[in-house]
Amino acid sequence: MHKIIHDYYSRKKAHPATLAFFRITFGGLMFLSTLRFWSKGWIETLYVLPEYHFKYFGFEWVTDLGNFTYLLFLLGLISSFFVMIGYKYRLSVITFFLVFTYIELIDKTTYLNHYYLTSCLAFIMCFLPAASYFSVDAFISGKRATAIPVWNVDAIKIFICLVYFFAGIAKINSDWLLEAQPLSLWLKSKYDLPWIGQTLMQSKVTHYLASWFGMIYDVCIPFFLLFSRTKYIAYFFVIIFHILTKIFFPSIGMFPYIMITSAVIFFDSRIHIKILNYLQSLIEKIGLFFVSKSPEINLKPKTIAPNKFIFTLLCCFLFFQLLFPLRYLLYPGELFWNEQGYRFSWRVMLMEKRGDITFKIKDSVANTYFYVKNEDFLTPFQEKQMSFQPDFILEYAHYLGKHFKDKGHQNTQIFVDSFVALNGRPSQRFIDPNFDLLKAQESFSNKDWILPLNDEIKGL
Amino acid sequence: MRKIKLRPVLLIALIFIQCSIDDVSNEFVEEINVGKSEEVSVLTNTDSKDTSQTSFNHQAMLMNWADNIIIPSLSGFESSLSELKTKASEYTSSPNAETLSVLRAVWLDSYLKWQHVEMFDIGTAEEIYFKNRINLFPANIDRIESNIANQEYDLDQSSNFTSQGFNSLDYLLFGLGENDNAINDKYASENSNYSKYLIEVIDKMIALTSEIKEGWNEEFRNSFINSTENTSTSSVNMVLNDFIFYFEKGFRANKVGIPSGVFSDLPLPDRVEAYYSKKYSRLLALEANKAIRNFFNGKYYEDNEQVGLSVRDYLDYLESDEETKLSDKINNQLDSIDSKLNSLNPDFTQQIIQDNLAMLYAFDVIQANVVLLKVDMLQKLNINVDYADADGD
Repeated sequence: MHKIIHDYYSRKKAHPATLAFFRITFGGLMFLSTLRFWSKGWIETLYVLPEYHFKYFGFEWVTDLGNFTYLLFLLGLISSFFVMIGYKYRLSVITFFLVFTYIELIDKTTYLNHYYLTSCLAFIMCFLPAASYFSVDAFISGKRATAIPVWNVDAIKIFICLVYFFAGIAKINSDWLLEAQPLSLWLKSKYDLPWIGQTLMQSKVTHYLASWFGMIYDVCIPFFLLFSRTKYIAYFFVIIFHILTKIFFPSIGMFPYIMITSAVIFFDSRIHIKILNYLQSLIEKIGLFFVSKSPEINLKPKTIAPNKFIFTLLCCFLFFQLLFPLRYLLYPGELFWNEQGYRFSWRVMLMEKRGDITFKIKDSVANTYFYVKNEDFLTPFQEKQMSFQPDFILEYAHYLGKHFKDKGHQNTQIFVDSFVALNGRPSQRFIDPNFDLLKAQESFSNKDWILPLNDEIKGL
Repeated sequence: MRKIKLRPVLLIALIFIQCSIDDVSNEFVEEINVGKSEEVSVLTNTDSKDTSQTSFNHQAMLMNWADNIIIPSLSGFESSLSELKTKASEYTSSPNAETLSVLRAVWLDSYLKWQHVEMFDIGTAEEIYFKNRINLFPANIDRIESNIANQEYDLDQSSNFTSQGFNSLDYLLFGLGENDNAINDKYASENSNYSKYLIEVIDKMIALTSEIKEGWNEEFRNSFINSTENTSTSSVNMVLNDFIFYFEKGFRANKVGIPSGVFSDLPLPDRVEAYYSKKYSRLLALEANKAIRNFFNGKYYEDNEQVGLSVRDYLDYLESDEETKLSDKINNQLDSIDSKLNSLNPDFTQQIIQDNLAMLYAFDVIQANVVLLKVDMLQKLNINVDYADADGD
């Protein structure tokens, strides 16, 4: 056994073109998506304008930077571009990882699974020799790798497989498979799609087909991508699946493109070599516009030795990715309802949840109270996200408590009238209306002031 | 590797076969340039609930909204305002108990008609802050008096929004003096500044309403009914967002919540609608509830017996396999609101002073419907409350 691991670690090799291609597409996509984010004005609406930002537990020290946030994004643009061309790769990819992750940590409101995906991929990339081939660094150093330890590529492959697999088994629940929810709600509202809007999208059969196909796809695709016989057919399905999600859910942003380009890593290295060779000839042709003769590129071969520390680190990281999505098992109650352990688990587009919440500020001695107008404190987006996530509710309650205490209110208690609808169910009360939220503190322990869902969702 | 494999082809074929099985009565949404013809056929859905309906005609719903509710209610309101102007002129030329009483009656009639207009904040109405200039309260008495004294004011400035509109008229017709004689005295002199201001406030309301009415020209109406897509700027989404905003703010907060002190430490009994009249706050709230119910159920403005495609129909279509319908819950709650309001003092100010708890219960009953509309209904319709322009997954 030990020999197998040792062989895998030190002997088995992969062609560096695979990793280089991944690096180029990853850097390129990150550059484009940062540009897109900037051009839509979201830096201002999401990071500069809001007076308050919701914090991740343990990351309360992350502050927003006001107008300096633009600098951060500029850094993200530059670093992702350098990652793409492979210039000062190690510095660039670490910069990109830190900048991107910091931005995401500023406000919990904007949490998206594909932002988490990006952070994870960037993290892995920090430790890989991705610029040892077809990169500016290689060009400058005059050396290029001929082979890299296979686990460098496998780390990314396994991670992508984990993402798909967890996304898939999350869909194995009675709402998704037996009720075709929330897809029924979502697809029915796509009535404006040409041809299929008023027909396919309205049919219950379509909703069930879509739910089951979605689940089967997510669960099975990692295996089909890993086996050499099926990987190209699997890739065909990857494209179809993600294009469909883009059509049905335009708000899904860059996620489909990230997955479509990332999945190319499963191809044979022959294909990666071919693509990069083609890219090289393209660059040379363009270069001929500027110089009369293409320079002789004679790169000496270089060996990339396996590194024990990096290998162990990557193993730990993947092991963590295997365990972390399962932490919800430590909490009682319905996961979709109380969301304890919901995030960072690849539960992508899994449920439709909506809430309305009113905060009551009470003076326990004078026995008077008043309701707060949430729009005085939060943006509509923040209010929406807060209305159905208990950790947001608790954090906001403490923010209000401090605000009113500073204004001179005394003996403050905070109660909420909170109603949430999940996956098309009738709305029901979410939080115990008699519990003073100021008495609770954020922690890893169970929030017993969340009322139970008066229904059962069976599943994993 | 590049051969066409059977599996994916089969899958796609399956989808198309399923499509043709379900193909019953489909309405493809097309660009229809229909003039305001009375021959427009809308799907009426009163007694016969067609549960085999396989799609919903959004455009017909929009046509019902525009042609049978919004535009007629605007017209009705506009006529009532010109009547108001007539009676106001008659009053100011000869202020006495009789002309005052007639004027007040016409003011009330117009105010009641306004309750059917306030919830539609689309198009020009939104651009010129229509509802903030017709019905912001409480009226700023000091501002009104100083305007009248100084004769220098611009009703188009936002600082004057609380010194015009219905609640300013409320003050001018009910609050100027200890009794009716004292009020009439203010208008008695030849060049009474009060008369001048009264007419100007009404003129401004007429001018704004006329602008709104013109905004609903054929071109706008056609683009309105053609905008059927499910986006934040489409007609359906905007009208429903306005409706919910009105229900939460215009109806729940302004008429009941704020005066009963729900958002403040103490009750604010002088913040009721039509405060100086001392008797119409409940009537106006009841009329607003009626307008809300009419819109929700697609009832024609001019003839409540006639019904067209509505939000209720849309919800029923989406819930065709559900036993308990959300639309029934909403309608039942509207009934509860009605009976709760009816149990209150016709003058909300008195109700608040004597027994504010009853006002707070009324607020709770209205609040329950806010949840049904904002949470349950919007989830079924898959509409966002506000376009949070960001990605989601």
